[in-house]
Formats: sequence, C-alpha cells, structure tokens
Amino acid sequence: MPDTKAIAPTIVNLSGTYMIDRSSALKAELWAAIVGSDRVLVSLSLAEDLDLACLQVLYSARRFARATGKELRFVGSVPSRIVERLSSCGFLHGSPQRAEDFEAVLQDF
Amino acid sequence: MIDKFKAAFREEAYELLGQLEDTLLELEVQPHNSELINAAFRAIHTVKGSSAMFGFETISRFTHEIETVLDQCRNGVLSITKDFIGLTLIARDHLRKLLEYDEPPPQELANAGGGILERYRIFSGKGSIEAGKNISSGKTPEGTFSNEMAAATFRIFFKPDAEIFMDGTRVLNLVEELAGLGQATVFPHTESIPNLDSIDPEKCYCYWDIILTTTKDENAIRDVFIFVENHAEIRVERIVEAPLDEEGRSKRLGEILVDRGIVSAATLKDALSSQKKLGEVLVEKHVASKPQIESALVEQEHLKKVQDRTELGTGSIRVASDKLDALVDLVGELVTLQARLARTSLDLKDASLASISEQFERLIAQLRDNTMSIRMLPIGSTFNKFRRVVRDLSIELGKEAELLTEGAETELDKTVIEKLGDPLVHIIRNSIDHGIERPNERELAGKSRKGSILLSARHSGAYVLIQVSDDGKGLDKEAIQQKALERGIITPGQDISEQELYQLIFAPGFSTAKAVTTVSGRGVGMDVVKREIDSLSGSVTLGTEAGRGTLVTLKIPLTLAIIEGLLVRIADEYFVFPLSSVDGCIEIRKQELESLGDKRILSYREELVPYVELRDFFESDGESPQIQQIVITQSQDNRVGFVVDQVVGDYQTVIKPLGRMFRDIDGISGATILGDGTVALILDVNRLSLVAQKDGLRKMGRGV
Repeated sequence: MPDTKAIAPTIVNLSGTYMIDRSSALKAELWAAIVGSDRVLVSLSLAEDLDLACLQVLYSARRFARATGKELRFVGSVPSRIVERLSSCGFLHGSPQRAEDFEAVLQDF
Repeated sequence: MIDKFKAAFREEAYELLGQLEDTLLELEVQPHNSELINAAFRAIHTVKGSSAMFGFETISRFTHEIETVLDQCRNGVLSITKDFIGLTLIARDHLRKLLEYDEPPPQELANAGGGILERYRIFSGKGSIEAGKNISSGKTPEGTFSNEMAAATFRIFFKPDAEIFMDGTRVLNLVEELAGLGQATVFPHTESIPNLDSIDPEKCYCYWDIILTTTKDENAIRDVFIFVENHAEIRVERIVEAPLDEEGRSKRLGEILVDRGIVSAATLKDALSSQKKLGEVLVEKHVASKPQIESALVEQEHLKKVQDRTELGTGSIRVASDKLDALVDLVGELVTLQARLARTSLDLKDASLASISEQFERLIAQLRDNTMSIRMLPIGSTFNKFRRVVRDLSIELGKEAELLTEGAETELDKTVIEKLGDPLVHIIRNSIDHGIERPNERELAGKSRKGSILLSARHSGAYVLIQVSDDGKGLDKEAIQQKALERGIITPGQDISEQELYQLIFAPGFSTAKAVTTVSGRGVGMDVVKREIDSLSGSVTLGTEAGRGTLVTLKIPLTLAIIEGLLVRIADEYFVFPLSSVDGCIEIRKQELESLGDKRILSYREELVPYVELRDFFESDGESPQIQQIVITQSQDNRVGFVVDQVVGDYQTVIKPLGRMFRDIDGISGATILGDGTVALILDVNRLSLVAQKDGLRKMGRGV
C-alpha cells in the first residue's frame, strides 16, 4: 500500500512578488528541490507578480530537471496578473488559469 | 429531421453549458478578466440564438435575461461578484434541466426559472454599479481597431543586453506596453536560457520578434524603448502587406525570411528546389534556426489574420459517440473473424491463405489501434466537473478547499471515462467532508486555512493511475476500528493489520460519520466506489497518514473494448488472462505440484507466491495433465499464481459482456469468442487473487 510520504513530491510555493531581487534565491530553492526530489511541483497560486529574471529561472529549472531525468511541473491556479503579463509578452497563448493549462501553453517550456 | 436538428442543438448546448461552468469557476477567481466575461457572454448568447432557432422559446427567453445582465458586466456597468457567479451557476444548471424537455417545459420548472430571473433583476438593480469604469484589461481586443483603414503592421525586433536588469529595467513592462499599442503577435525567444547549473539569474537571455498592427506611427513604437535604446538592439520596420494568395496567405514563408534578413534570395531559391518543406530545409542546412522559422510562421499567421478575419478551420469534425461505439463493435467482429481466418488457414495448410491471413492480421491491428485511439479522450474533460463539486461542497460545509489537478491531458477510453465520474465524485466528496478540516482547525494544526485536494492522472503501462490526495487530517484509525467492532465486522482482540483496517471503509454501509449529512454519513459511497472500479476491472487502494492526509489510488485499464490477452486451457475450457496482469509463466510437473502440499505457496523469483489451481476453482472434469503451467499474475502489488493445463499463447481479446445470468460469477469479468466460435471466459485476476490470498492465509493459520 502506498503511503503519502513515499509518493509525496517536493512542492515549491512561490509567494509574493518575484522580481530580479529574488531571482538568485529562487534559483537556489529550485536547485535544492530538483537535486533532492524526482518530482518537483511549483505552485504559483500565491505569487503576485513575476518578472523576466525569475521567469527565466523557472525555464532554466525545467530544462535542468529534464536533463537530469527529473520532473518539474506547475500545480494550482495561476494568478491573473501573471497570466496577463506573460500573455501580453507572448509567453502564453490564451488565458489559462489552471497550472496544467498554463504549463501546456507556456512557450517552449 | 426536426428531431435530428433538436438533438444536435441539445448536444451543442450541453457542451456550451459545460464551457460556461468552467468559465464561471475561473471568473470567480479572476472577476476582472474581460476575456472570461466575454467567453461567458458568448456561451449564453449562442445558446440563446440556437434555442430560438429550434423553437425552445423558454430557453431563449431565459437566456435573453441572463445575456442582458452579462452584457452589463461586460460593459463595466455591473461588477462580477461571488453572488453573481453562484446565481449564474444555478441558472446554468436550470438550463440543463430545461434542455431535457421539449416545449413547453413542466410548470414547476418554469416557476423555478422565474425565481432565478427575479434574483437577476435584484442583482442588476442592487448590483454594485460602477458607471464609467471599464473592466477590460486595457488591451485592444483581437480583431478590432479604432481606425482600421489607417492601421499599419510593423515588425519589431527587441533584444535587451544581457546586463539590462542591473539598471532596474523591467523588460516585460516594455513588451506589455508595446503590445498595448494595437493588435500584437509577440514571439519570445527563450532558446538561449541555459540550464539551472549554468544560468546567471541576473542576466537577460530572452529576446523578441513582435508583429504589431496599429494605428499609431513608428515614433510611438520607438517611444516605448526610449530609455533602453542604449541597452538593447531594437529594429522597427513597416511590413508592406500583399494581397492574399490562393491559399489565403499574405506572404510566403520565404519572403518573410528574406525580409527579415535571415536568408538571402539565392539561398531561398536553392532551398525551394528541394521537395521538403522550406522550413525543414533551412534548419537542416543551418541557414535558419527552428525558432526563427517559427517566428516567421507566426508573422505569416498574423498577417493572414489581419487581412482575412475569418477563423481558421479546426481540422476536426464532430461525430456522434454511438457511431464510434458501432465502429468499435465492428472492429471487434473483424478481430474475431480474423482469428477464425487464421485458424482456418492453419487447418487447411494453404500457404497463400496463410499469407492473406497475415496481411489481414496486420491491417486489423492497425485498424484496431486507430479506432481505439479515436475513442481516447483526455481525462481532463472529467476533471472540470469536480471543480464545481469542490466549490459547492466547501461552501456548504463551511470549509475552504481548492482542487489542484495534474495530468488532465492523460487519455483514457471514453467508456472508462464515463464510468469514472461517479466514483471520483464520491472520493472527492469524502475528502472534503472527512479529510479537510475546518479553516480554524487547520490553522491550529499549523496548516493554511485552505485545504488542497490534488487530483492527478498518469499512464502506467496498460493502466491509468488516478490519484486523489488531500492534505487533511487523514483516516481516523480508532474510529474505523470502533465502527468495525460495533458492526461485528471484526471481533474484540482480532489481529488485523492497519492496511486491512483501512480497507474496511469499502465495506457496504460502513461510515464513521457521527451524523448523517447530505454529503456523507449514510455509509454509501466508498463501497459504491469499490464496486464501480471493480466493474472497470480496476483496483482501488488507500494510503493515509495522521495529520497529513489521505491518498486514494485508482488503477484503471486503458480500455474495456479490446485487450491483449493470454489464452489458456483447463480441461476442454478456454480462459483468457489480461496480458497486462501477467508477470510470467512457469512449467511444473504434477508430482512437484503435489509435493508443495495444501499450503499452495510456491517460490518464484525468491518470493513466496500463493497459487490457485483453476481446475479445482472451476470444478473442471477429468485428470490434470502430467505437465502443467502456472501463470504468475501481478495484482494490487501482490503476485498470485494460477495453475492451468496449458498456456496456448497471446490472443487479441474482444471483450463481450456476460449475460445477466452469469454477471455475478466470482472471478470472471467477461467473455470472448475464439476463432473456431467457442467461448473463452476472461478471468478477473483481482477477484481471483483475493480468493487465493484468503485461502492461503486461512491455510497458513491452520498450519496445514
């Protein structure tokens, strides 16, 4: 019988505003999560805004996870401010609110 | 004919109401999202138009009123509130009920509709009026221009320097501002972003190709970049639009690439002489990168959209599901016929017939796979309705809960998906009712006020694993034990493992709820889940941890129509094991089997595996042969062996349901017809394994 511990992925919760000043910390957090777990779920539900520097780190983490045979995915809902911003800047096609739709339409992710 | 049109209208309306529900739930989270408001308006508007066309006047009148209110929301006169969402969800449910009837609907339904509309009138009268406030995002809606005649299209290349973040420049703000100047198609290049081990998080790696159709002039575009002119490469050029060609394209890909300076005219001419697609040739020759080609294609698409505002075809058609079911039945018949042909060709020893049979077999296999793939649907279509369940139930119970989903794109046979709906609703309802604590209890336990329920799906071989996990309080072991004692399911002092104890919640009538609510407590639910999942030849398991939550895992076969099977014989009877359950086969002499005694446990790959003699189980006639075979199966993390007379081989099995008389036979899940017309029974490995385990435990307990 599976227990919740055995299958539990590492969840990285992004909370607040993610601008250049937090990009290095975000990189470190994602690095630790990917190195320490086969499955990393990133939740943007509580993130208020996301600038290019941190977005690049998320792309980078996804590529790193793939390259090391790990999985990095988004879960939860995606705040409308982030959807609007990324949509206007061409990273998103459509207006996905759920993480899985968001991930599916995130350009080249 | 009229009925046919009405049926088509109903089908479309149900789909639109499904979309409306999703949109409303999203709108609840993002009440200011103008695209969502527009989507809700469009859904209602379309239902209104079609219902009027097909004579559903009650629906038409009802939707007209809702449309009016939605239009006010669209124009910013009324704000979207939680009450409004709740009301519109009720109206949406009411429309579904109305769709079940021809005109006129029953009086009580008409009265209920009147009540809903009255609430709308109150809403629009009392609604928080914010006159003059436009809730649109400020972006120009796609396909609309204030001065279409004066609009021009520009190609903009924007590549910030790597160090641009260091002076505080917010790059995305610039791109957003630019996109806000008109109808923009923005193509970001992300290919230069390195892996996490080599990225410098303070450097910029992205750049953009932007196609902008706007009534503004070039200066207005350049003004956007006025403060970063020295920290970025910026090119702005006006695109000279050409009339659409016979394929509806404004410009060919090659022309765009030459315009962009990516390829020369000579290289283009050379590449065009190849039979391959231009983009592929240029990428192969390293003249252009894949993103450059994609970006140019995006430009082509933008130009086409601007010039020809008709929507592109979706490349798909709508087919009635009963037609698909009929197609699968026919393929099933063909598979059966092919088995007969193969058998006949073997009996006749005719080489040419054998060759035809083989070709036929290959084609049938392709046809089977194609047909089955048509029936595969993403499970996300089912996930959507659970969001509503979570919303309504958490409000009803005074809890806060959020449904997270993962793997919505996982595909499963449509029949299986249809049957999964109810069991999943039961599980999710239980999670909210029994698992997720009230917000204050969660805070006291150091958790967030809002509980999470994660619904995930993923493929695992010939199965799909669907998991529902919550971060609630977990199962109450003591309460389950107490209830089991009260109901006499276990006796005081009985040695029962934790896992066995948790499995008791699947027993009929078992509930630990202290009070019967509309949600749970009546003891119906989890036993229904188990029964439904069993009927899908699937399995359900539970995991839990006090204070951390519960995980329910459903293991469901991908399809219920045609499976790969392992054909075996016992006396004169044939049986089929689903191949996905088979782990291996071993040969055993009769004397060896007898020497294992009554414990019926053998050693397989350094593991003690219980086995069942199917000859005994089915009370078959005659003596067993001197050499028998044991089929080792894997079911719910346990291995079990089944002794058969002979393993015939793999067999494409078209599953036929058993008639009413035979439906409840333990250990049999269906039947199939063999090439010579005889019937083979399909074994239910899960059920047989349970019998084997109970039998084995009983015998071990007796010390036999």
